[in-house]
Amino acid sequence: MLRYVAGRLSWVLVILLAVCVFTYVIFFQLSPDPAVMICGKTCTPERIDTIRTSLGLDRPFLQQLGDFLRGIVAGRDYGSGANLVHCPAPCLGYSFQSGQSVWEMVLERLPVSVTVAVGAAVLWLLGGVTIGLLSGVKEGTWWDRSTMALALGGSSIPPYVLALALQYLLVVKWQVLPFPAAIPFGDDPVAWFQSYLMPWIVLAIGYACLYARMTRANVIDTLAENFMRTARAKGLGPVLILRRHALRPALTPIVTIFGMDFAGLLGGALITETVFGLNGVGKMASDAIAKNDQPVIMAVTLLAAFFVVIGNVVVDLLYTALDPRVRTTAS
Amino acid sequence: MTGSRGSQADAPPLLRARDLTKRFTTRGGGGPLGRKSVFTAVDSVSFEVFPHETLALVGESGSGKSTTARLVAKLMEATDGTIEFAGRDVTHARGTDLARFRNDVQVVFQDPFSSLNPRHTVERILTAPLVYQGLPIPGGRRAFAGELMERVGLNPDHLHRYPAQFSGGQAQRIGIARALAVGPKLVICDEAVSALDVSVQAQVMDLLLRLQRESGFSYLFIAHDLAVVRRISHRIAVMKQGVIVESGPCAEVFERPRDPYTRTLLAAIPRIDPEWDRRRREGAAEHASITASPEELP
Amino acid sequence: MTESPAHRAGPDESADLLEVEGLTVTFPTTRGPVDVVRDNTFTLRNNETLGIVGESGSGKSMTALAVMGLLPRGARTSGSIRFRGTELLGRPDAELRRLRGNAMSMVFQDPLSSLNPYYTVGLQIAEVYRCHRGGSRRAARRMAIDALGRVGIPDPAERVDRYPHQFSGGQRQRIMIAMALICEPALLIADEPTTALDVTVQSQILELLAELKRQTGTGMLFITHDLAVIATIAQRVLVMRDGEQLEYADTERVFSAPRHPYTRMLLESIPRIDDELAAPGVVSPTARPARPTDPAPAQEEVR
Repeated sequence: MLRYVAGRLSWVLVILLAVCVFTYVIFFQLSPDPAVMICGKTCTPERIDTIRTSLGLDRPFLQQLGDFLRGIVAGRDYGSGANLVHCPAPCLGYSFQSGQSVWEMVLERLPVSVTVAVGAAVLWLLGGVTIGLLSGVKEGTWWDRSTMALALGGSSIPPYVLALALQYLLVVKWQVLPFPAAIPFGDDPVAWFQSYLMPWIVLAIGYACLYARMTRANVIDTLAENFMRTARAKGLGPVLILRRHALRPALTPIVTIFGMDFAGLLGGALITETVFGLNGVGKMASDAIAKNDQPVIMAVTLLAAFFVVIGNVVVDLLYTALDPRVRTTAS
Repeated sequence: MTGSRGSQADAPPLLRARDLTKRFTTRGGGGPLGRKSVFTAVDSVSFEVFPHETLALVGESGSGKSTTARLVAKLMEATDGTIEFAGRDVTHARGTDLARFRNDVQVVFQDPFSSLNPRHTVERILTAPLVYQGLPIPGGRRAFAGELMERVGLNPDHLHRYPAQFSGGQAQRIGIARALAVGPKLVICDEAVSALDVSVQAQVMDLLLRLQRESGFSYLFIAHDLAVVRRISHRIAVMKQGVIVESGPCAEVFERPRDPYTRTLLAAIPRIDPEWDRRRREGAAEHASITASPEELP
Repeated sequence: MTESPAHRAGPDESADLLEVEGLTVTFPTTRGPVDVVRDNTFTLRNNETLGIVGESGSGKSMTALAVMGLLPRGARTSGSIRFRGTELLGRPDAELRRLRGNAMSMVFQDPLSSLNPYYTVGLQIAEVYRCHRGGSRRAARRMAIDALGRVGIPDPAERVDRYPHQFSGGQRQRIMIAMALICEPALLIADEPTTALDVTVQSQILELLAELKRQTGTGMLFITHDLAVIATIAQRVLVMRDGEQLEYADTERVFSAPRHPYTRMLLESIPRIDDELAAPGVVSPTARPARPTDPAPAQEEVR
């Protein structure tokens, strides 16, 4: 088992390295010259050269890449002499826009994105999976048909439409919620909860609809399995049959998909954060893209890749715990 | 035709497999640190198939018989060993050599429904082998496909039906007809009758025998059931865990099995009291002389 | 094992184990209702093995599922199924549930898919026992270990905690049999129990079933497409085709003097290793000419 985990983690390093190289090539080598961008409107060729040198852009590509990677692991220095700036590890460079350390920006924004993701995940798991289970068991009934029709509709509403509609209804018309604002949990837990409620709902609805349909399909497939017939032939009661024999096979695949979806959201829920003005990683990404702030774009991409890759490993390990067939081949 | 057994020493073999070996490598734990494990599915298997001959390759699950069939059909690359076909080494055949080989060697699979495209009509399925190779279709598509249908005992009026509209036995006949479309020299039947009901199985076996009589190709007949291959094969090779444990002329394997495993296999086949058989046949003879022939069966 | 446990004493001790009369099973289809079993009548006596033979679509499995009350949703049944003298058709599922796995149980064709891959075989065997007899987990587990030992699983105390995929095909079927027999049922229905198995494993499973039946006196309904298997295990045979019963008699009579042409054709279709060897490509059993033999000796009397 340890060997398996070690093997998986060694792959993670390989994949993350590949992602680093790939994004580095795309964002630093194929984009407009960063030095020109930093320089701004009042720019002289000399100034561009200075910036180039301080950023290390005058060096060969592979050396630049090496500097970048070393910066992440061990930190790096920019410039020389009096202009020397030390960027401690993990160094992702400085924003072209604000000059702030990108790593610090990430640390600042990440808790917001995590809060959004966790809250939404709880909602969509509770809602989607429960509805899916009931619909699967009651396949063909009016409950099944109506919930599935709703789920199909729900997953086709774009989140920004939903967000605007919710804001209009809950905040403007009925005034049950205050307008979303960044309120730290410690200041006022109730206000904090209220401020996050709408983003959670908006983000969760799409996923909940998807999960309801997936769960239903899994339940129906499981109920058709031969071992379900065996369970009936044994004389077990319907509740025990469902609880013991159907639930685990039906829900195990959901774990995989959930792991990937959740990991993806940790890298920032771009639309939801932007619509509600939440200062998360997703909003940071959209701002950076709008202004071609390459170090930030790079950092957000790496961060998302990191979460997805780690999420993948966690899902695989969870799977080994849940499915005995995988367990024995893994150990 | 049946007199010209390939086992005669002077006739050169149509197919010669020498020391065929297939190893599968799996990584245990995943990742570069994962432990490699090697599984040898086929281990130095050698055999020959002569013209007009049927060689049966018999074994239980995990014996490597189907893997061997795949190696011979070049649907899978052998780890080791050579395959000669009509005197030429085709082990690493590419391009036109491989195309010619594919023309000469056809495969009929176990499940006819999963090996026939459900969205194509029978006519399209039967002419596809020629169409893909850009060959002219003798007599036109309809006539060509219709003739194939008749050869395998199907109604040529059903050319525009889809595979799902046929029964299992009929679908397997379509699979056989498709194999015949290119005029093969060797037909590999990979458990071709295993999934069929006994009565249908007997009819398909009859068909396979008749086609061989008419066209003179060879069969490599893969099966798990010794009793089934007895009727059709000239020689039998028994496989166990990737190795041929015994091979020889059909009658010899059944009457004087040398290997203990062959004896176990033979002993495991359920028997019917020969006395019951005798009485039934006598009854049948009597019955036949009185009433109509059993051909009126539905 | 010889003592008949109390639960097995049916309401009517003198009745046959299973009496099926005029059983018809109907499925609704888009083209109207279809009878998959039509007017099937047979009796399974105590301690007897009755073989039901037929090819695919003959209705043999549907007959078995009807007896167990396990027909798919939408199926309609009529006629009568009496188990130890008590009518089963029309009884609520909760009552049938008390019989299933307890007084009557079933073994299916494909043991791998018939076992739940997520749970140990011990749990899956023990839950039948606990469901019908109650008792502690530990006691049920001990029963499961015993049962595994009886069906010839080596090292049962250790292997009770393994999962189905860790056993071979034959062992999985042994586990299914252990599960079916743990409550010592009066009736065991085996639906193609050896079809998915290798021939060497098949003969072992058939031996095991015969031996367990001898020990426990369980009546067995053995369903198969393979007449040769029937010849080795059943005292009486019922031949079905397209939902209809064609022939129903002692095994010896069916094999030595089949009445229905279809039965005769089935018998002639069985691939054989013990008759005279026909040269390949020359004679086929289905087309085998009737032997011009000496005048037939004493025909057995009409039943």
